Amino acid sequence: MFSSFKPGERGKIVDLSHVSHLVQRRLLDLGITEGSEVCVKCVMPFGGPIMIESCGQCIGIRRKEAVQIEVVKV
Amino acid sequence: MIASILIGTAIFGYAAYAMVKFINKSKKGKCAACDLKNSCSSNCGLPPEVK
Amino acid sequence: MEIALIGNPNTGKTSLFNNLTGSYEYVGNWSGVTVEKKVGIFKKIQGHLIDLPGVYTLNPLSRDEGVVTNFFLHESVNQLLNILDASQLERNLHLTLQLLEFERPVLIGLNMVDVANKRGIQIDAVKLSKSLGVPVVPVIARSGKGCDRLVDAISTKSPEPVNKKLVYYGKEVEAAISALSKEIDGKTEHSHRFLAIQYFEGNEYVKNYFYEIADSEKLNLILVNLESELKKQYASKTLPSFIYLKRKETIVKIMAETAVKSSSVIPLSEKIDRIVTNKFFGIPIFLILMYLMFMLTFDWIGTPLSDALDAILTGPITNLLENVLTAIHASDFIHALIIQGLVAGVGGVLVFVPQIFILFLFISLLEDSGYMARVALVMDRIMESVGLNGKAFIPMIIGFGCNVPGIMAARTIETPRERLLTILLTPLMSCSARLPVYALFVGAFFAGQRALIVLCLYVLGIIVALILAKVFSSTILKSETSLFVIELPPYRLPQFQSLWRSTWDKGKGFIRKAGTFIFAGSVFIWLLSYAGPGGINVDMDRSFLALIGGVIAPVLVPIGFGTWQAAASLITGFLAKESIIATMNIIYFVPNDSSLQGLLANYYSPLAAFSFMVFILLYIPCLATTATIYKETGSKKWTVFSVVYALVIAYVLSLIIYQGGKLFGLV
Ligand SMILES: Nc1nc2c(ncn2[C@@H]2O[C@H](COP(=O)(O)OP(=O)(O)OP(=O)(O)O)[C@@H](O)[C@H]2O)c(=O)[nH]1
Ligand SMILES: [Mg+2]
Repeated sequence: MFSSFKPGERGKIVDLSHVSHLVQRRLLDLGITEGSEVCVKCVMPFGGPIMIESCGQCIGIRRKEAVQIEVVKV
Repeated sequence: MIASILIGTAIFGYAAYAMVKFINKSKKGKCAACDLKNSCSSNCGLPPEVK
Repeated sequence: MEIALIGNPNTGKTSLFNNLTGSYEYVGNWSGVTVEKKVGIFKKIQGHLIDLPGVYTLNPLSRDEGVVTNFFLHESVNQLLNILDASQLERNLHLTLQLLEFERPVLIGLNMVDVANKRGIQIDAVKLSKSLGVPVVPVIARSGKGCDRLVDAISTKSPEPVNKKLVYYGKEVEAAISALSKEIDGKTEHSHRFLAIQYFEGNEYVKNYFYEIADSEKLNLILVNLESELKKQYASKTLPSFIYLKRKETIVKIMAETAVKSSSVIPLSEKIDRIVTNKFFGIPIFLILMYLMFMLTFDWIGTPLSDALDAILTGPITNLLENVLTAIHASDFIHALIIQGLVAGVGGVLVFVPQIFILFLFISLLEDSGYMARVALVMDRIMESVGLNGKAFIPMIIGFGCNVPGIMAARTIETPRERLLTILLTPLMSCSARLPVYALFVGAFFAGQRALIVLCLYVLGIIVALILAKVFSSTILKSETSLFVIELPPYRLPQFQSLWRSTWDKGKGFIRKAGTFIFAGSVFIWLLSYAGPGGINVDMDRSFLALIGGVIAPVLVPIGFGTWQAAASLITGFLAKESIIATMNIIYFVPNDSSLQGLLANYYSPLAAFSFMVFILLYIPCLATTATIYKETGSKKWTVFSVVYALVIAYVLSLIIYQGGKLFGLV
C-alpha cells in the first residue's frame, strides 16, 4: 500500500484497477502500469499529492488516488 | 499652416486606422494569428465541444 | 509540402520548430506549453512546418490533445515528423506505433540525446530505424545540433508510407479490424487499420468521425462482439488495455535491440526538488521568489531605469519636439496634440518598459526552469479544497504575463468543469498591463513599501480567485470528477539566449501596442479632453471626457475615487489595461518639472489609492481577454458572467477596503 511508503522507498505496482478511470489512463500515458517499479520521492503535507518516480520520470498524483494503487515493497 | 494640416491628418488618419485594427484583432482574441485557414477559421482547430 | 511535428509533451517539438523555421513560438519546460496549431515556413527548404500540442496517444483526454486528433482526421499532411525524447524512449514509442499505423510517411527526430547520455542511456539510431522501418535522425533541438541532417532527411528522401505491420494485435482483434475495414471501405481516405484500432481504444473523435461516414450500429456491433470475445478468451479487463499491452510487447522488443542502459548519476533535479517541494517551505518559497521579483522590478532595477527614461522623455525629447514644432509654426492645436496627447500618453506608457521586461524575464525563468510543474504540485492541496486542481495554477501564473495565453493554457486541464472554472478565474490574475498602474501609485503613495504592496495585490488576486473557485464550485459548477496527474520534468538550466528570446517575445507586444493602440487611444482621449460642448481648447473640467466620466463618477464615490478622471481612465481600461495609464497621463498633464506622482496626492488619499489599485486589479477582463473567454468557452452566458462577476467583486472589495479603512482611521 502506498500509504505506508516513506520517501525514498521503492515498490512495484501490482494492481491499478481500483484507481479511477481517468487517472488510470494518464498513468498509462506516462508509462506507468502494472509491473512498473516506482519510488516515492516526497509527500506533500495536509494530505497533499505525492511525487513518485518511475524510469527516471517524476510524476505527481493525489494521495487519495495513490492509496488505491496496489503496490508491494521491493 | 500647411505643415499643421499635414501632421494633423497623418496623426488622425493613423490613429483611426490603428484603433480599428486593434479592436478587430482584440475581438477575435488571439486566434487572429492562425495561419492554416482550413479548420481554423471557425474555432481554432477545436472540434465542437465534446462533453 | 506540409510537415507536421508530433510527439509527446515536453519533448522539444517547439524548440525544433523554432530552430527549423527561425520563428519564435512559446517554449517552456512543462507539459502542455503549446495548446494550438502553429504554422511556420522552413528556413532552408520550401514547405510549411506545423507545430502541434504534445500528446501521449492519439486518443485525447483534454482539449489541446483534441486539437491533434482533429488535425489528423480533418487535414491533409504530407509527412509526419515524430519527435522522441531519447531519455524516455519507451513511453514515447507508444505514440510512434500509432503514427506508423496511420500509414503516412514518418520521419523520426530523436531528441534530447544529451539528456539521455547524461542518464547513461545510449540509443542506436540505426537499429531503431531498422526496427521501425523509418529514418531516425538524432538531434539536440536546444542547441540545434543535428538539425541540418534532419532538414536533409526531410527534403531528400520522400519516404514511402510504411506498410509494415509492427504490432500484431492477436487473431481476434485483427479479424475485427478486417471486418470494420469492410464497413468503411471507400468512405475515407485514412488508413482503415488506424481508424479501427483508434475506435477500439474508445477514441471519441474517431467515433464522431464514423458517425459522419458510416453505419454506426454495425460498427458498434463489431466492437461489442470483440470485447466479449476477448473477455472469454483472455480474461482481459478492457479492450484498450489489451491493445496497450500488445503495443508494449512490441516496444519492449524494440528497446531490447536498440537501447543500452548503464548506471547513472543522481541528477541535480532531485536535490533541488528536496528544497522547492519541501513539505513546509513549498509555498513560502514561491512567495519569496515573487517578492524578490517585485524588489527587482520596483526597487533595485526597474524603477531607477524607468525614472531615467522618464527624465529623458520629459527633458530632451520634449524639448526637441517643442523646438521642431515652433520651427514649423505648428498651430496650437497640433502642438497640444503632440505634447499633451501623444508624448504624455504614449510616452507615459513606454517609460514602464523596464519594469515590464523584468517581470517577463522572471516569468520566462519560471517557465523554462521546470519550476512551473512543481508549483502546480505544491499548490494542489489548496486548489483541491476549492474544487480545482494544481494544474489550474499554471494558467494563472501565465496570466501574470498576459491573461490571453493564460486562458488558452487552460486547455490542458482535462475535466471540462475545472477548465471552465480556470478560464473564468484567470482574468483575476494581475497581468503585466496592470503593472504600470501599480508602479505609478506605489511610487506616489507607498514609496517605502513598493514591492510589498504590489506583492499584496498579486496575492490578493490569487486569494480572491481561490475563494470564488470555492463559491462557484459549490454552487453553479458542481461536479465530483477531478483529475490530477502531472508530469514533473527534470530541471533545465535556462540558456541566456532562449531566456532573452522568450522575454523579448512577450515584451515586444507591449511596445507594439504602445505604437498602435495606445497611440490611437491617446489621440482620441486627448481630443475628448480638449474639446467640449463649449468648443475647443476648453477647460478640461468642461470637456467631453469630463462629461462622460462624470456620469459614472458618483457610483465610485463610496469606494474612494469618485472623480471624473478616475472614471474616464477606468472606461478606457476595458479596451486595454495599458490605456489606463495613458489616459491618466493625459488627464493629469503636468507641464515639465513637477511629476504626475506629486499631482496624484491632490486627488487620492493613500487609502483611496490602494482601493483604486484593488479595483484595477479585479474590475474587468480587457477586450482581448473577453473575446478569448468567449472563444474558449463557446458560451455568451459565461462570457457575460465573467465580466459581471469581476465588476461586482471589484466594487465590493474596494468598498470594504475603503470604508473599512476609514473606520479604522486610515486615510
Ligand atoms: N537538454 C535539452 N533540452 C531540450 C532539448 N530540446 C528541448 N529542450 C528543452 O525542453 C523543454 C521543452 O521544450 P518545448 O520545445 O517547449 O517542448 P514541446 O515538445 O513543444 O512541449 P509541448 O508544447 O508542451 O508539447 C524546453 O525547456 C527546452 O529548452 C534538447 O535537445 N536537449
Ligand atoms: Mg510546444
